[in-house]
Amino acid sequence: MTAPWIDGDTSAAALAIAGATGVAFGATLERAGLGSARKLVGQFYGVDLTVFKVMFTAIVVAMLGAFWLGRLGLLELSRVWVPETWIAPQLIGGLVFGVGMATAGLCPGTSCVAAASGRGDGLAVVAGMLCGVLAVGLGFGRLAGLYEATPRGALTVPGWLGVPYGAVVAAVVAIALAGFHVAERIERRP
Amino acid sequence: MTRRWRRWLAGAAALAGALAALVGSPYRRAGAEQAALARGGDPRRPGPGALDVAALVREVAGQDDHVSAVELARWIRAGRPGLRVIDLRTDAEFAAFHIPGAEHVALERLAEAELGRDDTVVLYSEAGVHGGQAWVLLRALGHRRVVFLRGGLHEWLDDVMRPTLAADASPEARAAFEPIAELSRAFGGTPRRLGAAASGSPAARWRGC
Repeated sequence: MTAPWIDGDTSAAALAIAGATGVAFGATLERAGLGSARKLVGQFYGVDLTVFKVMFTAIVVAMLGAFWLGRLGLLELSRVWVPETWIAPQLIGGLVFGVGMATAGLCPGTSCVAAASGRGDGLAVVAGMLCGVLAVGLGFGRLAGLYEATPRGALTVPGWLGVPYGAVVAAVVAIALAGFHVAERIERRP
Repeated sequence: MTRRWRRWLAGAAALAGALAALVGSPYRRAGAEQAALARGGDPRRPGPGALDVAALVREVAGQDDHVSAVELARWIRAGRPGLRVIDLRTDAEFAAFHIPGAEHVALERLAEAELGRDDTVVLYSEAGVHGGQAWVLLRALGHRRVVFLRGGLHEWLDDVMRPTLAADASPEARAAFEPIAELSRAFGGTPRRLGAAASGSPAARWRGC
């Protein structure tokens, strides 16, 4: 039998799995200490690079898992959603997101973790995030042009660079391991 | 986590990454990746040339796939914007008679026809079968505003050019016949009252496709 076993994204089973995955993700973030704004802000001051290490580890684990499960015939990758790319709106959205993350010290996931742990700053960030979602929704008529600008379809790094999947996987693992080594050296600085 | 565990995990990741560079694509079937990306990354969205069968079934069940001859005549007379009536028959058949304003595009050249995304395309053939088949083909090519003339040219001739009101028609049928007779005359037709069936035998009505 080949994964994914569930078709569609609105069935009860799919929603249950999404809920369980979200709870597991939140629990992992909490165990890594990412519910604390100090931990996240520490990354911008170069004193605590836990966020970088946790997130890059998640990317490498997911990438190796998807690649090898697909290669071994346990996962049908053509049935896995590849998000589409819109360069301008995603660039601008990324900058807005980054400013918000540096200011609040929390990102959407960690703010939920912080709120669930009873932290006031987490609740404030979640409330602000919902206000932002509402504002974008109400002003979507004006933003629609930007929202649909510079579409590039479903892009993957191997497709974009024209290199085999395996080569990109090996390169990302090498970059991650080098990044972890450098991060730990930075953290050990006096 | 101990230093030893971290080294072990880093080594495992390095090994899995290095081996990945030596093996082939993680996609199991040839072309599966291109097909997935062509659908905008959404595995459920049909790609170009593919059919969303469930959506087509809904249209057919809802009778949104076809138009009646009388309705088409109303669209033509009202000058419906973007209306493109396509005659799929042979050159000789088109030259002999066609629906006013129709364009001739033989079935075998349908894929190359220049049809706008906002055009309302009405397909017709002799008796409707080729019209229905061409509807599927255009939907497979991604055209969304396509319908076919249900009974083909036969329905046009019977219901628009030679509409007939039976002698024993109800008062409602007589009232409904008036605007159709007026529409028929606008297209040069000859509406008939109190006559027997004027379109000939069923065999003659459904000859050809």
